[in-house]
Amino acid sequence: MVRSLIHLPDEILHLILCYSTPQSCTAVEQTNSRFQNVTNERLLWRHHCQSHYKFWDGRHDMPQKLARPVNSTDWKALFVFKYQVDRSVTRLLDSILGGQTGRIEKCRRVINMGYDTKDTLLRYSMVDSGEDYLARRYYAHALLTCLHRSIAIPEWAKLKRGEPVSLDRALACFDLFISESGTGDLDEIRDSLDKILDRFVASHPDLYLFTPREKALAIASWLALNNLTGINPDREYHSLEHNFLGLALKDPGHNSLPLVSAAIYCFVAQGVGLNARPCGFPFHVHLGSDINGNALGGMEPGEPFYLDPFRGARETAVSNLRSQLTFLGMSNVEDQTATLGEASTSGVVLRCGRNILNSIRVEPQNPTSRAASIDVMSAKYAALWSVMLLSGDSRPMDLRHQLPWLMELFATDFPSDIFLVEQYIAPLFHGLFEHEHILESLHVMRAADEIPKQIRRRTGGNTNIQYRVGQVFRHRRYHYEAIITGWDSECGAGEQWMRRMGIDRLEAGRHQSFYHVLVADRSVRYVAEENIGIILPRFTELPKSLTAIAGKHFKRWDETERMFVSNMKDEYPDD
Amino acid sequence: MSSITLTSSDGVDISVERTTAERSVLIKNMLEDLGDSGEAIPIPNVNEAVLKKVIECDDDDNRRKTTDIDEWDQKFMQVDQEMLFEIILAANYLDIKALLDVGCKTVANMIKGKSPEEIRKTFNIQNDFTPEEEDQIRRENEWAEDR
Repeated sequence: MVRSLIHLPDEILHLILCYSTPQSCTAVEQTNSRFQNVTNERLLWRHHCQSHYKFWDGRHDMPQKLARPVNSTDWKALFVFKYQVDRSVTRLLDSILGGQTGRIEKCRRVINMGYDTKDTLLRYSMVDSGEDYLARRYYAHALLTCLHRSIAIPEWAKLKRGEPVSLDRALACFDLFISESGTGDLDEIRDSLDKILDRFVASHPDLYLFTPREKALAIASWLALNNLTGINPDREYHSLEHNFLGLALKDPGHNSLPLVSAAIYCFVAQGVGLNARPCGFPFHVHLGSDINGNALGGMEPGEPFYLDPFRGARETAVSNLRSQLTFLGMSNVEDQTATLGEASTSGVVLRCGRNILNSIRVEPQNPTSRAASIDVMSAKYAALWSVMLLSGDSRPMDLRHQLPWLMELFATDFPSDIFLVEQYIAPLFHGLFEHEHILESLHVMRAADEIPKQIRRRTGGNTNIQYRVGQVFRHRRYHYEAIITGWDSECGAGEQWMRRMGIDRLEAGRHQSFYHVLVADRSVRYVAEENIGIILPRFTELPKSLTAIAGKHFKRWDETERMFVSNMKDEYPDD
Repeated sequence: MSSITLTSSDGVDISVERTTAERSVLIKNMLEDLGDSGEAIPIPNVNEAVLKKVIECDDDDNRRKTTDIDEWDQKFMQVDQEMLFEIILAANYLDIKALLDVGCKTVANMIKGKSPEEIRKTFNIQNDFTPEEEDQIRRENEWAEDR
């Protein structure tokens, strides 16, 4: 006769505990010794590990653990570990949202916990309700993308040091910078490429009969036939998303620039034993002897052959490439040979980075072509990092030229990367005067972050300030929409700035209230009160770009007041 | 629609549609092995009250794909604890996965958010730990407490 929970057989208790929360499992364990075994079963805790968490740091070696017998891993200990990471991240994020001081150090502590933080960050970056959901979403997303970059940047640093990194990994790093790619780690892209390779092999059962040359051509035509390389003619060639390997693989159209197409080609070719590498000549793939050192069929040993996988399955004659180079002004045979040789992985990454910068320059002229909306800032940031890290010491001017762009973008959009800049950018300028500059600006950022904000009350000389932090306005003259993030009772900018901006030509001049504002394009501006025209939109009428960044300073939207709720009470307690 | 007869452990014959009865993998296999002889099938582990309740459970597989328990299931499971455990055991014995899942989820919901002491009270469980043992287990599980 079954009278209570205690009399149920273990197999049923196990099922009940699988449907329970981990907390409930521990509570049941504490009620009676009858439950000691069933609440500590490894199978139960493996289930909780898998159903609660998806992303595990590489050092746990999860695929291996899951493949082994369940009893060879202490799954409960693993769950407890992960749960504690989850809790620590939550506490740190709460603390980041709780005040504007010390955020840099808190971010660093989250990122230092590594990939195990991802489940938690992902969960918070998708919350859509709660007292501070805009802020929570904003900072969780910022940390998540920072985590991804802290995976990508060390890969490029490895390349810089001359350590081997496979081409697919090195290019996948670009995808880690842009959240729209949905790429979370470097292995995902390798998996997609492996699937393509499997498909190719499966559709060519007689592959072993092919000469290397036939194989090379078969791959090119199969990839073209399956639309895995090249760009559809109806699409804008320079579209930003064509630069990203992960996006190209994920997108049903698989559109990619020649460089990315070449990388896909090379992966498949190497998978079937060909020694294929992108070459220095744009569009082309260099096929040397096969991996065992045998010459390609019908060719002299050591004589490479060239393909253009972006355009299809045709061999390009060496003489043709050489004459094109001569035409372009490269007449030296040795230079030509170098260009036609295998490109290094870092060289290919650098080209990809430059292509991205080029796409960003070109694209605004073709606004209609912007199908997938990739965040331009993130793409640009990725490109700048790759150029900075891989330009090589031989071109310090390149580095100097890009540094201000990188530093500005980092400071405005990606401040949580401070430790990455410190570790990877500053050393590049060792011995140059920029080195001091970088360290100085990082020092200033840290100092500003650590010192509590000066409290701004609406008393004394501040009683005449008309508008409040969190209100949304349209600029009377320039018509952009922005949120007020701070104020001064009169213009607090320097004399030079006021002169340049013609502040004294304003009707009320410099002695009127001025406002710090956050604009929908993410820029920060300083606006005179007379130029502010408060608007009272509904939440759904606000520009998406504005609500996405509002979380930087605001907790949520107040639909009755039609304004954002401040998360800067430590600075503006009365707003 | 053909119907078959089941005999409960307390000797009561219950007529049920064949398709309904076949939701039980156990009965389905028995019918396949024995053929449709028209004879009553004995269910020695389940009494009349429980068997009737189990048959009442409408089986709409789509409804049980989520982990939440829907309204109908909740109503169905509004029985006393003893009946609930009997249903779970019967579902397990008769091999009716959907019903077993609903039963276990119902129990899991009853446990949810409760402290060990509250769980003891709900299910009438005796605390058989010494204070020292209790203290030790509590410390081992401190990680799960809300802080």
